Amino acid sequence: MVKRIVFIFLLILSCSKKQENANTNKNDAEVVAFNNVDSNVSGINFSNDLVSSGNLNIIEYLYYYNGGGVAVGDINNDGLDDIYFSANQKSDKLYLNLGNLKFKDISLNSGISKDPTWSTGVTMVDINNDGFLDIYVCKVGNYKGLKASNELYINNRDNTFKEQAEEYGINFSGFSTQASFFDYDNDGDMDMYLLNHSVHSLYSYGNSNLRTKSDSLAGDVMYENISENGQTKFINVTEKSGIYHSALGYGLAIATSDVNNDGFIDVYVGNDFHENDYLYINNGNKTFTESSADYFNHTSRFTMGVDIADITNDGHLDVVTLDMMPYKSDIFLKSGGEDTDKVSQIKKSFGFHQQYARNHMQLNNGKFFIDASLLTETHATDWSWSPLIMDYNNDGLNDLYITNGIYKRPNDLDYINFLSNLDFAKYNETAQDTLEQKLINTMPMLNLPNVLLQNKGDLSFVKTGVDKNNTSTYSNGAAYSDLDLDGDLDIVVNNLNETATLLENNSSQVEKHNFLTVNLLEFNKSFNTNGAKVYIYAEGKQFYKEQTTVKGFLSSSTRQVHFGLNKLTKIDSLKVIWNNSSQTVKKDLKSNQIITVENENTSKYVYKSEPKTELKSFDYVHKEDNFLDYERESLIPENLSTEGPSVVQADFNKDGLEDLFIGGARNQAPTLYIQKNDGKYTIKKIAAFIEDSIYEDLDAIAFDIDADNDLDIYALSGGNDYMEGNPMLEDRVYINDGKGNFTRLNSKLLATNGGSVSSFDFDNDGLQDLFIGNRSIPGAYGLSPFSFILKNRGQNNFEIVEKKRFGMITDSKWVDINNDGMAELVLAGDWMPITVLSYNSSTKKFENKTQQLGLNKTNGMWNVINISDVNNDGKLDIIAGNTGLNFKWKASVEKPVKIYLDDFDKNEKLDQLIFYDYFGKYAPFASKDKLVQQIPSLKKRFLNYNTFSTVETIFDLTQKQESDILETKYIYELRSMIYLNNGTNFSAQPLPKQAQLSTIEDISVLDNKIIFTGNFYGFVTELGESSSNSGGIISSTDNKTFNTVKTLNLPKDFSGRKIVKLKNNNFLIISNNGKSYILNTKK
Amino acid sequence: MKPLKTKIYLLLIVTVLASCSKPAEHIEVSPELFHKSVDKVVEIMIHDIFSPPVASRIFAYPNIAAYEILAQKSTKFKTLQGKLNQFESIPKADTTKGINLELSAVIAHMEISKNLIFSEDRMAVLQDSLYAQWEIKNKEEFETSKEYAFKVIKHIKQWMDQDNYNQTRTMSKFTVDTDDPSRWQPTPPSYMDGIEPHWNQIRPFLLDSAQQFMPARHPEFSLKKESKFYEELMEVYNVSQEITKNGDESEEIAIARFWDCNPFVSVTRGHFMFATKKISPGAHWIGITKIAARKTNSDVEETVNAYTKTSIAIADAFISCWDEKYRSNLIRPETAINQHLDPDWLPILQTPPFPEYTSGHSVVSGAASVILTEIFGDEFYFDDDTEIPFGLPVRSFKSFYSASSEAAISRLYGGIHYRAAIENGLKQGKDLGHFEAKKLDL
Repeated sequence: MVKRIVFIFLLILSCSKKQENANTNKNDAEVVAFNNVDSNVSGINFSNDLVSSGNLNIIEYLYYYNGGGVAVGDINNDGLDDIYFSANQKSDKLYLNLGNLKFKDISLNSGISKDPTWSTGVTMVDINNDGFLDIYVCKVGNYKGLKASNELYINNRDNTFKEQAEEYGINFSGFSTQASFFDYDNDGDMDMYLLNHSVHSLYSYGNSNLRTKSDSLAGDVMYENISENGQTKFINVTEKSGIYHSALGYGLAIATSDVNNDGFIDVYVGNDFHENDYLYINNGNKTFTESSADYFNHTSRFTMGVDIADITNDGHLDVVTLDMMPYKSDIFLKSGGEDTDKVSQIKKSFGFHQQYARNHMQLNNGKFFIDASLLTETHATDWSWSPLIMDYNNDGLNDLYITNGIYKRPNDLDYINFLSNLDFAKYNETAQDTLEQKLINTMPMLNLPNVLLQNKGDLSFVKTGVDKNNTSTYSNGAAYSDLDLDGDLDIVVNNLNETATLLENNSSQVEKHNFLTVNLLEFNKSFNTNGAKVYIYAEGKQFYKEQTTVKGFLSSSTRQVHFGLNKLTKIDSLKVIWNNSSQTVKKDLKSNQIITVENENTSKYVYKSEPKTELKSFDYVHKEDNFLDYERESLIPENLSTEGPSVVQADFNKDGLEDLFIGGARNQAPTLYIQKNDGKYTIKKIAAFIEDSIYEDLDAIAFDIDADNDLDIYALSGGNDYMEGNPMLEDRVYINDGKGNFTRLNSKLLATNGGSVSSFDFDNDGLQDLFIGNRSIPGAYGLSPFSFILKNRGQNNFEIVEKKRFGMITDSKWVDINNDGMAELVLAGDWMPITVLSYNSSTKKFENKTQQLGLNKTNGMWNVINISDVNNDGKLDIIAGNTGLNFKWKASVEKPVKIYLDDFDKNEKLDQLIFYDYFGKYAPFASKDKLVQQIPSLKKRFLNYNTFSTVETIFDLTQKQESDILETKYIYELRSMIYLNNGTNFSAQPLPKQAQLSTIEDISVLDNKIIFTGNFYGFVTELGESSSNSGGIISSTDNKTFNTVKTLNLPKDFSGRKIVKLKNNNFLIISNNGKSYILNTKK
Repeated sequence: MKPLKTKIYLLLIVTVLASCSKPAEHIEVSPELFHKSVDKVVEIMIHDIFSPPVASRIFAYPNIAAYEILAQKSTKFKTLQGKLNQFESIPKADTTKGINLELSAVIAHMEISKNLIFSEDRMAVLQDSLYAQWEIKNKEEFETSKEYAFKVIKHIKQWMDQDNYNQTRTMSKFTVDTDDPSRWQPTPPSYMDGIEPHWNQIRPFLLDSAQQFMPARHPEFSLKKESKFYEELMEVYNVSQEITKNGDESEEIAIARFWDCNPFVSVTRGHFMFATKKISPGAHWIGITKIAARKTNSDVEETVNAYTKTSIAIADAFISCWDEKYRSNLIRPETAINQHLDPDWLPILQTPPFPEYTSGHSVVSGAASVILTEIFGDEFYFDDDTEIPFGLPVRSFKSFYSASSEAAISRLYGGIHYRAAIENGLKQGKDLGHFEAKKLDL
């Protein structure tokens, strides 16, 4: 075997063409390691030129500007990868790699078709098992004068090819996008998934049963390879395989990968428009089951490219899909974007999954995927096509290269308006061609540079330009390969109306990181190893890559598996798991070489299936009513009416066991659970509770209000659906008879939208006093309602000590935080800091200590606070749950999110104008369409989207100075935090990134471990649901930094609200609008 | 050198002024000028996309301003003060100042229109050229007439601003009850929210309240074969199938398209979703008013009278109709047929974004046809060329009533209304029209 290992000696020293201006500042994240090689030097002068005609243009064919692809592979087995470009209206080109990034155009005599047929995706694959790569090219045929069928070029082993698609049975003619070859039945040969796309425009979302109707031109096709007598032949097994093959599939992206690590290759299909993306899980019996809803909470809407690889080095394959969200605020403000809330709701009602018009970075946790694109800030790269996940700087972390560009922007809103003002009376007449040409000429053009997102570890990416000139192009398909064999991956890009880009990667010289490239071969030098898994173990680190070639968009990359190793020089072992579940292991390898591994001396590999842990559910299901706050206040960012349930744990019947009171949403009665000796609970029916099912419960406490030595209940009512003072918002007190029987106290209580209630004897008079914190003024989101501190005078008599607008309160805790024997009240809420009020016993007043304690710039969207001595230093710390970082808004003290509250249109109703930092520039949160509905006068100020797109300040928008505005509030902090108590003030420590993936809604602390639950589905569609972290346990090894997160075993679409500690390390986790579960933290 | 140059300029200016100072001419205002101003408003409304109820409001106020200015000296037409809700007399014109009331009327019409539409620059194109001409013709007469017009404008705007329009902008969106099968749902392709759910809170012009002409209850939603509702649902479906079979040339399709009057028809083509714009039902009847006024050689007063009274009735018709729409919240044929009969069925016209009952076009056409009949008489034959700019042919009618009947039934052919919404809607509109005609002393 050793003999087969080919050492490539790198010519780093002799490589002298490097220019002086190479940036040598290695600390600078902006290091651009790519050099754009001139076509005169490389010899690559391919350009995918388009000339639109009356028959064929962006109006007649909606994918007219989708461009062409690139396939990279070694067609003559000389060790150098060659390049194939597909073209739409010209003939395709094949370039032979001569070494040193010099290429020779061999198209003319290669046997490649010279016809200018419409080529799309291209794949290199050894289809006939002869050790030479063949080429499969997809075509658009049978449409508007286009006539072609997909072509298969069989390698004649002399740099020429023979077209034999028909002989092999794969001369499909229709709307093909891309083919992926992989072994779907693990029988040793390459089967084929042919991705096709639809071309029709859909009128309505209603008829989703279209998905099951076959379409012979647009429907996808599954081909099985049945090799007989040495002759490779494909048969169509679409029907049997269980894949959809309908005109509803706007398939633009495909990747084939074993995402659930069971030894069978699965298929990800990215669909454009409203159709869901498909995840076909391979059942291992030649059938697939579409399972996207089981694996993803949401996906990209206009999915255009996909790649699957391990981004976090945790051994699980992650998925990146691309969409078209702009990263420049002006483009964003004048382009069509996210669905309105109504349309999003309608699509769901028709059975479509949640989709957002942005890139997704779906992290695989071994059970399902959670999207981290907003946290990693990889969500917006404009109109994007190819995602290529690879380690471009050999630092051991997979980076992300993205091509983008749309030659004409049909989603420019001013353009759409322009269309609407045309005289369409003539549209159907003879002048159609001229009119279309006029339409196309008017469509805006804008090219942007492609994007490199460098992985810095810990879920952080740094966006850099790709080459030092930051060249703007319209780029589509792309592929990578170490074309010059210098140990780093170069990139080839197919551009529209412009010469293809060849990016020479210089990182091996600039960064001098180590690498290992693995070349996989099957017996007899067959190349059919797609799907093989390669693991590298070195110095306790694991690297995992799958050998897949079809990825990105319309393209296939090198079949060599490349690993960046950073400083590692020695590999302890390398393991290849082949498609037939056999493995080859090699030990003690040096870095910086290309090693060839064959499937010899294999041993059996057994896939371990993840143990299915049964979730232990608790007999409580919370049912939210369906009031939508944003239908009443269209400029608000979140629903405030989906916040319950409330939970109180207390011994109500005085049997020494803690019982549970759970308050439901509107139209769900509170429930009393009595604990039995065996730790189980039984429901005790309470007539007073059933009568009060009309209330929405937000919070509750148990305390002895009538001083009769049992625990009564104060139930805080709320809901954002009724105006203040409405009896539907009135709080209730239930009096305990000592045996756990309750009657409602007949007394007039507050009727507000409650947020938090808490009790404490702050003046040491032996009577429990109260804080009642309110959530909002219904109908006036943003303004702070009054909250109350009430002193208990005995005999159900309370006196108001403080009545202040502290903020939109979500939580309150009474605690002696500075060990002075007097109580502090700690408050949290939206658009406000963690606020600390301290009781002064001499003035009998509460003093605001927030600033003094160093918490004054902590304004966030706080959901919960927990006060515990988390680091065991004898001082109480504050652990606070916020919205997290996986959120469209970004906030800092320098660039806070701002909400301007005023009646801007003088109609006696509050308007909320929110501005946030949009990739470096402030932008209004509400779209122009939304704003002019709410404030019609803005329609006159901004007659078009272009003028609106320059709005950066409240003055630009309203002509009102910041200082003249009724009230302005800020968010400086979106992270969930620990504020460690230093005695005199607090120091901030963010929770680890894994705990910032979604909102944190409740926190419990046990043995210095922080247990949290989260997710929130009440944000408007423009912000998107927060659903990437149902819960976890955070611990610290040194009691200083809390950096280890273990995921709690909860369902992926769980909306956690409350954690209740039970006996024996058990926790009850209760959700909003869903089930409740019991978890054991020790297991 | 410098003083010399200034002198030359002065000299030039003097010459220019001298050549201009012809004797001041009286500024004649023709009925055509009013038609032009109204046409401009229609054109801008199409561009700016106003929903039908909002469009009706935009027609009414400028007309009333012009009417009230003219009514001061008119022998034929009396002020509407005491008839229009909360309306107080406009400031009287000072007869000593040589104010040209017809000129003031047309200026007020243009200025208030400009205030109500969005694309002011488009109105300014017409306005500026007229103002320039008038200034040259008779600066003094123009200035004094304009000054008076602005006094009236201020008065009318104060009244207009109290009609609850601004308040209704920020009221709740219409919440769709998705669990109730009889309720309205947003319709394809753009699934817009129900428009103007609070239009019944707009102050009516002559009605006591939005509820004054509440129509009979629609047949109760039912999918039972023997029910009235199901019968009407099947009628929409069958009529549509039948006329589609007959093809584009059929009379029914011609009628449906002619009266479509949907200001915002969404068109989807690939990545594109755009609107093809048309006039609203109200604007179509304003167009018919113009045809009638021209045909009868109406003078300025008569022209403004016809526009004003028709537009008031149309505006009140929308308030009445919208009150019923969001009371009954009835499902559109498209939704019901797609859910229960045929998932692929498409109506011939695009379903507009608001509940079904009653048919807006039927109510408005009913009301407008009564007013026009009272003004111009029954058996008034006319060629309706209103839709020519939208590529539709001329249709001829022997009376306003025959036009309103055809407009009403067109909604059945178009597949967007059941028969009850059409018949009860037409009755609702005519009852309202007769009430208003009487109140307007027609």
